[in-house]
Amino acid sequence: MKPVEIIIIVAAAAVVIGVIVAAIIRKKKGISSCDCGCDCAHCKGCGIKKPEEEKK
Amino acid sequence: MMRFALAGNPNSGKTTLFNGLTGSTAHVGNWPGVTVDKRDGLYKKCAEPISIIDLPGIYSLSPYTPEEVIARNYILDEKPDCVINIIDATNLERNLYLTTQIMEIDVPVVIALNMMDAVVKQGDAIDEKALEKKLGVPVVAISALKGEGLAELMERAYSTSKTPRLGKTVLEHGALAHLITDVKIALDGPGVENPLFHAVKLAEEDELEVNAHKDTVKMVEEFKKTFKDDTFGDDFEALIADARYKYISDNFSSVITKKNKEKFASTKSDKADKVLTHKIWGIPIFLVVLFAIFHLTFSEDFLYLGKIFGLPSLDDLGIDTEAFGGQLLACFYDGAVFSPGVIINNLWNNIIVEYAFGWLVNIIAESGMSVWAVGLLNDGIIEGLKAVLSFLPPILVLFLFFSILEDSGYMARIAFILDRMFRKFGLSGRAFLPMIMGFGCSVPAMINTRTLADDKERAATIRVIPFFSCGAKLPILTAVAGAIVAFFGVGNADLITYGMYLLGIVSAILAVLFMRNTSLKGETPPFIMELPAYHAPQFKNLMIHLWDKTKHFVKKAFTIIVASTIVIWVLSHFSFSWGFLEDEEINQSILAQISMLVQPIFTPLGFGSQLGEFGWVFVVAAISGLIAKENVIATFATLAACLAAVASLDISTLDITAEEGIDAVQAMIMATGIGIPGLIAFIAFNMTTIPCFAAVGTAKAELMNNKSYRGTLLFWIISSFIVAAAVYTIGSWWWTLFIWAAAVILTAWCVISYNKKAKEKLDNQKLG
Repeated sequence: MKPVEIIIIVAAAAVVIGVIVAAIIRKKKGISSCDCGCDCAHCKGCGIKKPEEEKK
Repeated sequence: MMRFALAGNPNSGKTTLFNGLTGSTAHVGNWPGVTVDKRDGLYKKCAEPISIIDLPGIYSLSPYTPEEVIARNYILDEKPDCVINIIDATNLERNLYLTTQIMEIDVPVVIALNMMDAVVKQGDAIDEKALEKKLGVPVVAISALKGEGLAELMERAYSTSKTPRLGKTVLEHGALAHLITDVKIALDGPGVENPLFHAVKLAEEDELEVNAHKDTVKMVEEFKKTFKDDTFGDDFEALIADARYKYISDNFSSVITKKNKEKFASTKSDKADKVLTHKIWGIPIFLVVLFAIFHLTFSEDFLYLGKIFGLPSLDDLGIDTEAFGGQLLACFYDGAVFSPGVIINNLWNNIIVEYAFGWLVNIIAESGMSVWAVGLLNDGIIEGLKAVLSFLPPILVLFLFFSILEDSGYMARIAFILDRMFRKFGLSGRAFLPMIMGFGCSVPAMINTRTLADDKERAATIRVIPFFSCGAKLPILTAVAGAIVAFFGVGNADLITYGMYLLGIVSAILAVLFMRNTSLKGETPPFIMELPAYHAPQFKNLMIHLWDKTKHFVKKAFTIIVASTIVIWVLSHFSFSWGFLEDEEINQSILAQISMLVQPIFTPLGFGSQLGEFGWVFVVAAISGLIAKENVIATFATLAACLAAVASLDISTLDITAEEGIDAVQAMIMATGIGIPGLIAFIAFNMTTIPCFAAVGTAKAELMNNKSYRGTLLFWIISSFIVAAAVYTIGSWWWTLFIWAAAVILTAWCVISYNKKAKEKLDNQKLG
């Protein structure tokens, strides 16, 4: 296996793992990734987890 | 750090002012209720940095909807250093109603008299000095849109914030003055903050106040026994509202000088509304406007000039379309003049995407790397990316038109027009605005449902929002519609896309009708909405909308989509024993083996077992769409190269289009033999099924409880199967239309009969 092919495997794995880890971190922080680009007026409300009192 | 809160009526320009002060690019829309949550930014041009908080628009500080609670709680609990109350100067007296309430709180207040340019344009005038004197707080005339007066506003707010201010009420000379003073004294004793505000709200019998100050409520109840107003009886809330409006009318009318003395003189907006919101023509005009948008975005025969005049193709004219000049000309014309959306699309795909990626593909192919590495990079990642990125232009063009409609004020009219129709189905017109936002993205749309006061109406709206095809679903629609036109040579891409959007809307209406008569039964709340004045769309706003869309689309393509294409490619090139498979062995891959198990479930929808050995690709595409809907087309593109090899497809017979995604779908059609009904059903399924992970997470957060959330997931699965099955069977065997119609009528009859019996039972119980 050529060095460049090893780099491809590592890079591909890094992309996949990176995307999954980033999604988990976002979820824990309570941030969603919607199509608004996170610049719209609703970002604070994009929480996957919402505080109970706000929900009420 | 100092904190200034922006408070005001909906659509008074708070977010525009917020953007102007902080340099943010928050979404601005010309309709009430765009902002449903607070957001903050930094203003750096004062002596010290100031945090600016943009609050949702509210008409009063009595909490009826969730966003009113957010605004009220922020001002009362977070204690900002100053409240900048933004007033729409074109509607001064109505906006002052909220001002009279904010002024009852012990907080420094500055009035920003916004839209003064519009007042001047109308030929009217407002005496700011007189207004300032009467209110007793600083008043600064501004135009948030043009950025005029912002520096002065902030300077005055900064200096005002340095001096504490005690609340003041306009009710001090009214019939309830005695009660309010007594309650205020009672609250002062235990050291309640903002005693005047709480005293007035207690007198109004505000629900939150009644629960918070149970001891003092008795005082109000005692007073109530001895009080009777001729008009309002003992309805203190109405009495106080009336007192406020009377005070405003008596004291502030004099600060306004109207050019046209007639109180209800018609403005240009009123005249336009006579046509656009007409009782009969309103909805047909809306449908025509919607069709015009799709025609301008997707039509390859602009105004049908090609068909009408029988225009010659470039080949007929002897133009070489392989040469650069001919290629460029083919972006604009080929037997018909293309619509603006198609021209931009062709330029992007033929010139930019093809050259940029073509160069990269050649380098990789000639690099001498192993077959698997070239396959992963070229057939997997690059083909997937190309297929998704090729849809960036139509998405942007479509959203440009939607942004124009929103910014001009027409969207708000559509909600008004549809209220008449929606009301019959159990929703108010207000519910239409989040649905319209669903055309952009389901996530902010679901959050915007917070403006709906009724929980059941809100749940019904959240459930049908994904039916309004979002930007991420557009590549599916465009690619499949384009492939149908290119492969089968039938229909027009714009008509198919338009038809699918309408199918989504009709499905949403039917689903709402069913839910509001069964599981989510309830009264339709009244719909009152201030219609904003029409104005020319602001170039800056349009560009902000488009930039947000582009930024996020590209970011998503290079993260989630790339990761998904890698996973799909790996799963389609390895067997369960982790041996590498050649393209020809794809049916032994992990992906194929698992998908084949699930494939029969989709048979009633037209893309299941009837498609033979490669039919599983549609199952994979649909499932990958749960991560992000763009994945559907990226998956097709990633698998297209393998299928071309294994099924010995003669790609040269295809009508190759400018878009990679369309070619990928054509390859799928050749490999599986799927027909038009199956393809349309595939679009319908993707439009109505469980949306992407982000939207599902938001639905969970926004719905009342877990039971409702689970019900929503089940609703999406069932409704997508019903809609797609109906489309497939009717498309394949037209007479099944009668069976579906009978099923709908029977269901309606059962629901009506059940509700009638339940009502009779309830009436009998009441009588008994």
